[in-house]
Amino acid sequence: MPMGHTATAEAGSGGLTATEHRLANGLRVVLSEDHLTPVAAVCLWYDVGSRHEVEGRTGLAHLFEHLMFQGSGQVKGNGHFELVQGAGGSLNGTTSFERTNYFETMPAHQLELALWLEADRMGSLLAALDEESMENQRDVVKNERRQRYDNVPYGTAFERLTALAYPEGHPYHHTPIGSMADLDAATLEDARAFFRTYYAPNNAVLSIVGDIDPEQTLAWVEKYFGSIASHDGKPAPRDGALPDVIGGELREVVEEEVPARALMAAYRLPEDGTRAADAADLALTVLGGGESSRLYNRLVRRDRTAVAAGFGLLRLAGAPSLGWLDVKTSGDVEVPVIETAVDEELARFAEEGPTAEEMERAQAQLEREWLDRLGTVAGRADELCRYAVLFGDPQLALTAVRRVLEVTPEEVRDVARARLRPDNRAVLVYEPVAPEAAEATDEAAEATDENEESAK
Amino acid sequence: MTELATMEFHPQPRPGEAKPWAFPAPERGTLDNGLTLLLCHRPGQQVVAVEILLDAPLEAEPQGQEGVATLMARAFSEGTDKHSAEEFAAELERCGATLDAHADHPGVRLSLEVPVSRLAKALGLLADALRAPAFDDGEIERLVRNRLDEIPHETANPARRAAKELSRQLFPADSRMSRPRQGTEESVSTIDSAAVRAFYERHVRPATATAVVVGDLTGLDLDALLADTLGAWTGAPGQPRPVPPVTADDTGRVIVVDRPGAVQTQLLIGRVGADRHDRVWPAQVLGTYCLGGTLTSRLDRVLREEKGYTYGVRAFAQVLRSAPDGSGAAMLAISGSVDTPNTGPALDDLWKVLRTLAAEGLTDAERDVAVQNLVGVAPLKFETAAAVASSLADQVEQHLPDDYQATLYQQLAATGTVEATAAVVNAFPGDRLVTVLVGDAEQIVEPVRALGIGEVTVVAAE
Repeated sequence: MPMGHTATAEAGSGGLTATEHRLANGLRVVLSEDHLTPVAAVCLWYDVGSRHEVEGRTGLAHLFEHLMFQGSGQVKGNGHFELVQGAGGSLNGTTSFERTNYFETMPAHQLELALWLEADRMGSLLAALDEESMENQRDVVKNERRQRYDNVPYGTAFERLTALAYPEGHPYHHTPIGSMADLDAATLEDARAFFRTYYAPNNAVLSIVGDIDPEQTLAWVEKYFGSIASHDGKPAPRDGALPDVIGGELREVVEEEVPARALMAAYRLPEDGTRAADAADLALTVLGGGESSRLYNRLVRRDRTAVAAGFGLLRLAGAPSLGWLDVKTSGDVEVPVIETAVDEELARFAEEGPTAEEMERAQAQLEREWLDRLGTVAGRADELCRYAVLFGDPQLALTAVRRVLEVTPEEVRDVARARLRPDNRAVLVYEPVAPEAAEATDEAAEATDENEESAK
Repeated sequence: MTELATMEFHPQPRPGEAKPWAFPAPERGTLDNGLTLLLCHRPGQQVVAVEILLDAPLEAEPQGQEGVATLMARAFSEGTDKHSAEEFAAELERCGATLDAHADHPGVRLSLEVPVSRLAKALGLLADALRAPAFDDGEIERLVRNRLDEIPHETANPARRAAKELSRQLFPADSRMSRPRQGTEESVSTIDSAAVRAFYERHVRPATATAVVVGDLTGLDLDALLADTLGAWTGAPGQPRPVPPVTADDTGRVIVVDRPGAVQTQLLIGRVGADRHDRVWPAQVLGTYCLGGTLTSRLDRVLREEKGYTYGVRAFAQVLRSAPDGSGAAMLAISGSVDTPNTGPALDDLWKVLRTLAAEGLTDAERDVAVQNLVGVAPLKFETAAAVASSLADQVEQHLPDDYQATLYQQLAATGTVEATAAVVNAFPGDRLVTVLVGDAEQIVEPVRALGIGEVTVVAAE
C-alpha cells in the first residue's frame, strides 16, 4: 500500500512525524515511528460519544464500551483482557461526550495481536454479545456510577453543572455516565442497534505508534480490518452550537452532607480546535492553574478564604468548551465572600490582560503538559486519533504546542473579556447540612472533574 | 449470524521475536557535601525527573507533633532566602516545572519534573529550597490552617476514611504507623514555624539524602550543574536513623465505620506481611496478582464479571517501611467498593475465593499469564523518566541494591505455581485479616455478622 504523507518532521513538532492512510472500507490509519523503546501503542477512536445518545438512553455509549470487552467472534469472554495482559500489554477503553476510544500498549513484538483483537470486535462483536454480559455489565456500570459519583462528596457536581451549562435537549446536557433509570432501561437490542449504527470502519480512526515497521504494520491492518464492511446511516449528532455567551447567570444551590462549602462554576468558552480555545486555556492557566495563579494567590495565600482554588478547561469540539472553576472554602467562610473575590480577579484580568511574566509561565506549563502527553507512545497515539477524528488532520497533534506558544497576550485578554463574565456562567453552590437533613433529599452527591468513563 | 457474513477471520497471530529490554542501571556518585547521586540517561525523555530522598521518617516526628514532616515537605516550596513564597511558585512554573513533596513512613520525598531545556534553573530552585527554606511564620501558619481544612474532606472520603481506620486497628497505639500520616487535627494545631525548623535542622542534611536524576541528559554538563546547585547545600555529617520494628495485630475482626445512607460499602481488608527484602516477595507479587491484580484475577472474575457487585476489587502489597536488616514490612490488602445491599454476599464470595485458593491452589495457566504480564509490561511501565526515577528512589528508600528491579524480573520468571500459591495463601489467611467497612451500619452489620469472619464492631465516621 502506498504511503500517504512523507514522514518529514514539521517545525515545532519536536521531531515527531506521522503518516496517514485509508483502507478501502474507509478506516483511517495513522502511523508514527519511534524506536527508542520496544513498545507499540494501538489506539482506536470511534466517532461516537454521549452526545449521540437519545432521550431515555443516557449512558448507553459508555455501557456499550464495557460490552466491547465481553468477547467477540473469535474471542471468548474476557479474552480481550486476558490475551493482552498475557502478552505483557495494558489496555482500556473510555467514553466521553464526543468519542469512544480503545487502546492497548504492547511490547513491540506483540503488536499484531492487538490489531487482531481490535479488528475482531469491530467486525464481529454481535456474535458474542448476549443477555448475560448485558446484565452483568449493567450492574458493573451502576457500581461504577455509585463509586465515582454517588458515594463521594461533591460527586455529582460535574453532572449538575453540565446540565446547567447546556440547556435541556442539548446533546451535552447529560454526561457519559448516564442516569440510573436509563441504565436500567437499556436493552440488548439497544446495544445491538448502537453497534450496527456506530461501530463501522468508516466511523473510526486507528493510530499505531512506537517501535513499528510501517509497511508490515499497514499490511497487518489491511489483513485484519480490510474485510470489515463499511456502512453508512449514522445519524449526525444533534447540533451542539450555542450563542457565544449564556446571557445571564444560571445558578443552583445544593444542600447536602459535604465537608465544606464550595463554589463551582462553568464558563462557556470557544470550541476546541480554535485559536481562541488556546487563548482561553492560557487565560484559565494564568487565573487558576498551579500555585502561582491569580486565584490561588488571592484566595489561598492572601485572603486565606479557600482550601483549594483552580480553573480547568474541558475542551469540546462539537459544543462550546467549559472553563471549570472549583473553590472549596476554608473554615466558616461564606460563598459570597469567595464569589466577590473571584469576580474582582476576573474583572481585573479582563481589563489588564496577562503580564509578560504570566504569559511566560502559562505557556511553559502548557508546553510541559504537551511534552508529557506526547512523551509516551500511548499518549501520542491518543492525540493523533483526537486530531484526526475531531479536526480531520492528525498532523495537528504534533504542532499543537507551537500554536499555544504563538498566542498573544492581547488574544488572552480578549477571550477573558468576552467570556469570563458573570453573565456567561453556570454556578453551583454547595451548602453543607447535617446528616439527618441530608437524608430528606433523595439524591446523594459528589464531585470529580472526570469527563471520561472507563472499562477498568 | 448475518452480522458475521462480511468479515474474513484469521487465526490468532503468534508473537514476533521479543526485543531485549532491561530495567536501566543507574550510575552512582557522591557530591562533596555527601549527597548520594543516582543518574540515569533515558534517550528521548525530554521531561527530566528528579527525586530527592530525605532521611526524615514519620517516626522521627516529636510526640504530639504528627504532621510536622508533611508541613515541612510542603513548606519547601513556600519561599527561600532568595524568593518569597509567591515568587518561588512563580519561578518554578516559569520553568514549566512541577514540584511535589510528601512525607511518609520511610522519609520525605520531593519530586521535580521539568523540561530538560530548563533543568538548570529548576535544579537551582530545588537546591535553594533544601539549602535555605524560608519557613516564614505567616506561611507556616497558613499551611497549618490549610492542612486543618483538608482533614474533614479526607474523613468524608470513604477510601481515605477506610485507610485511616485500618492503620488505627492494625498498629499499636504508640506506633507512628497507627496515626494518620499527615497528622490529626489535634497534633497539626500545635505546629508552628519553630517546630518545622527544628525538625528540618535535626533531620535534613545532604549527607543522609539522595538525589535521583533521570531523563535525556544528552549534551548536559551534569557534574558542573549538580555541583553548582545541589552541591551548594551544606550540613553536618549524619548517620542514617535506625529503623524501628513493625508490629501489627491481625486478629480477624470487622470494623464498620458508620456512614448512614451510603449507597456503597467501601471495603479495605488487610494485614502486614513481607517486604521486598524477604525471599518470598516475588512469589507474593505473583500470587497477589492472581488473586486480585486485574479484572481477570480471581476476585474480579467473581465479584465483578460474574456477580456485578463492584466496579473492581484489587489485592496488593504496598511497602510500609523497609530496614537494611530485612525487618521491614508491607501492607497486604484487598480494597474496593460494593453496593450496599450486596455487601454481605460480596464478602461471602470474597472469603470463598480465599478458601478455594487455599484448598486448591493456583493453576499453572494462571501463574503463566501472571508472569507474562508482570514481566512483559516492564518496558511499558518504565517508558517515562518519572517512572524510572520513582522506582530507583523506592529502591534507595527501601535499602535495596540498584539492580533490584532488574533482578526481580528474573526471579518472577523463575517462580513456580506452588511457590506463588503458598505465598498468597500465607499473605491472605482468611482468619487473620482485619476488615474495615465504611458504609451504612444499619444495613450491613447483620449480614456481615452472619458470615463469621470475625467480631463486628461499629464506630462513628466522626
